Amino acid sequence: MHWTVFLAEAEGGLFDFDATLPLMAVQFLILVVILNATFYKPLGKAIDDRDDYVRGNDTAARDRLAEVRQLTERYEQELAQTRKQAQSIVAEARDAASKIAAQNLAEAQAEAIRKREVVAAEIEQQKQDAFASLEQQIDALSRQMLEKLLGSELASR
Amino acid sequence: MSNLFNNLSAATLASLEVGQHWYWEIGGLKLHGQVFLTSWFVIAVLVVASTLATQSIQRVPSGLQNFMEFGLEFIRDLAKTQIGEKEYRPWVPFVGTLFLFIFVSNWSGALVPWKLFEIPGGELAAPTNDINTTVALSLLTSLAYFYAGISKKGLSYFAHYVEPTPILLPINILEDFTKPLSLSFRLFGNILADELVVGVLVFLVPLFVPLPVMVLGLFTSAIQALIFATLAAAYIGGAMEGHH
Repeated sequence: MHWTVFLAEAEGGLFDFDATLPLMAVQFLILVVILNATFYKPLGKAIDDRDDYVRGNDTAARDRLAEVRQLTERYEQELAQTRKQAQSIVAEARDAASKIAAQNLAEAQAEAIRKREVVAAEIEQQKQDAFASLEQQIDALSRQMLEKLLGSELASR
Repeated sequence: MSNLFNNLSAATLASLEVGQHWYWEIGGLKLHGQVFLTSWFVIAVLVVASTLATQSIQRVPSGLQNFMEFGLEFIRDLAKTQIGEKEYRPWVPFVGTLFLFIFVSNWSGALVPWKLFEIPGGELAAPTNDINTTVALSLLTSLAYFYAGISKKGLSYFAHYVEPTPILLPINILEDFTKPLSLSFRLFGNILADELVVGVLVFLVPLFVPLPVMVLGLFTSAIQALIFATLAAAYIGGAMEGHH
């Protein structure tokens, strides 16, 4: 057919090397340079910048997370410590309070005993007084009864 | 016979003109004009797309920037896996442009109805279906891996010719010729064959039948671009690798 003819011809044909080859190579190298300036460099930079940005954000977030964890731990420790302190304070206060209560109780008991003794002594005193006055009255009464029963002469005798 | 053929091809949608070129003469040098026209189209597409994508670069990409970033990440991954994490960055533009240029060239050949444009000789097609383009790209790849090896290791780069044993010296030297040869002919052959198959099928059965082959052609074109770029990166990586 058509192409077999041209394969054999002196001019033209499939394997017709000429100045197209070097010029195409030069043209291609120019294309490499142009695309390097308009495509590879700017877009490559954009991709790298984005990678850096993402990586930077990721690292920052990780750092912040670690910081937060550390803070949480510290606060938890502080909380535990404070709780312990509070417990010891409560225990101390309870101790002190019970001591004071015991002391007060003892004092009150002592006071009560003292007062009771005073009162008991008073009662005893009054009892003695009462007995004394009673004895006098008894004497008087018995004299009267005697006078009544025996008459005044006999009685006064 | 020739007349009949011409009448037939004029009646159908596509005609086949392989090995015909539209010659430009510049300073006594012969150029394949149709290759340059389509390659300029490809270059314009790439430059315009990348310029638009980087007009206002956002941290959160959208639209074209997002798409081009996807492309760049793909290219970077390709270079990284072939060349290695440490060395790949300076080679991203070269490997990436190889991929993008070949990919857009191949797909322009498959998607743009070049053959509808009348030119004085030959016909417009993907730049990669001209052997000059593919050989140019593969020779550049050879230069690139030589440059990579020598700039990394100095003259001791050439010690790899006698590794692991001096017996392999001829084979190792031969490799430097087979590498660009296989690169260029693989690409050239695949793209040309695809366009020929589609052309012949369109020539024989203009409707619907060529469609599956066209879809296959799109797939092949993408794969060829990937293979070329991957192999180029692998050669560059291999030249810099210090396994001795």
